[in-house]
Amino acid sequence: MTGAAAADDLPLTALLGRGLCLLLLWVVMIGPAPADLPFGLVASAAGVWASTRLWPGGGTLSLSGIVRFTLRFLAQSVVAGLDVARRAFAGEPDLRPGFATCRSTIPVGLALDSACAVMSLQPGKLPVSAEADGTLHIHCLDLREAIGAQVAADEAAFRRILGPEPRHG
Amino acid sequence: MSAVLGIVTIVLVTAGAVLFLAGTLGLLRFPDTLSRLHAISKADNLGLGLIVLGLLPQAASVTGGLKLICVWLLAQLSAATASQLLGRAVYRGRREP
Repeated sequence: MTGAAAADDLPLTALLGRGLCLLLLWVVMIGPAPADLPFGLVASAAGVWASTRLWPGGGTLSLSGIVRFTLRFLAQSVVAGLDVARRAFAGEPDLRPGFATCRSTIPVGLALDSACAVMSLQPGKLPVSAEADGTLHIHCLDLREAIGAQVAADEAAFRRILGPEPRHG
Repeated sequence: MSAVLGIVTIVLVTAGAVLFLAGTLGLLRFPDTLSRLHAISKADNLGLGLIVLGLLPQAASVTGGLKLICVWLLAQLSAATASQLLGRAVYRGRREP
């Protein structure tokens, strides 16, 4: 899908909503000085254009799913950081690194790429390849752990934010 | 009250610095590139999160606090994206003869 076609698929209200959110982010980061606002407007417009390519319309997100996902993500981020710290501070780094392969249940495309990015901040896993049929190759810090169960739990949490209709990136 | 908030800040920022130290140790001690990516992405993210949490009580305004949270969120986003890109590049390099 080209950027122009994606932009055509999105209603004007959705584009304006994205632009407003980006402008709000600009104001928070840079400040509300009137002299800076033209730059913020240009940056927001560029962000909206980029978002039509990176995040085309056609899917819904669940607000309650996002909240539940965020809470789990924060808790898992703490576990991931402490897990790495424990292994790094150990007299002999407590690792058994290697690769695991599993089939993802997330739709291939934007959704799977996003899930992989999230998974890379979760304990012990770093997705390094996603094939067209949904097969994931994951680098693991410790192959003694139940990688399959962890990936399934991560994906279940991620699927909850996708809303009732599965997204196809 | 400000003394309590000051102690909270000191504890959280110190814990964050320890996490950054752990990430650096992992970078030096872990055996391969992909394992090192785990160290710098996961430990540093938690470290930055703790430092931001510790600095929030010291923020001069709501906007200042929001800016700190935005910095953390953008750092999370960039860490996840960068570790993905680096991980895929390293993996591709291993598979190709």
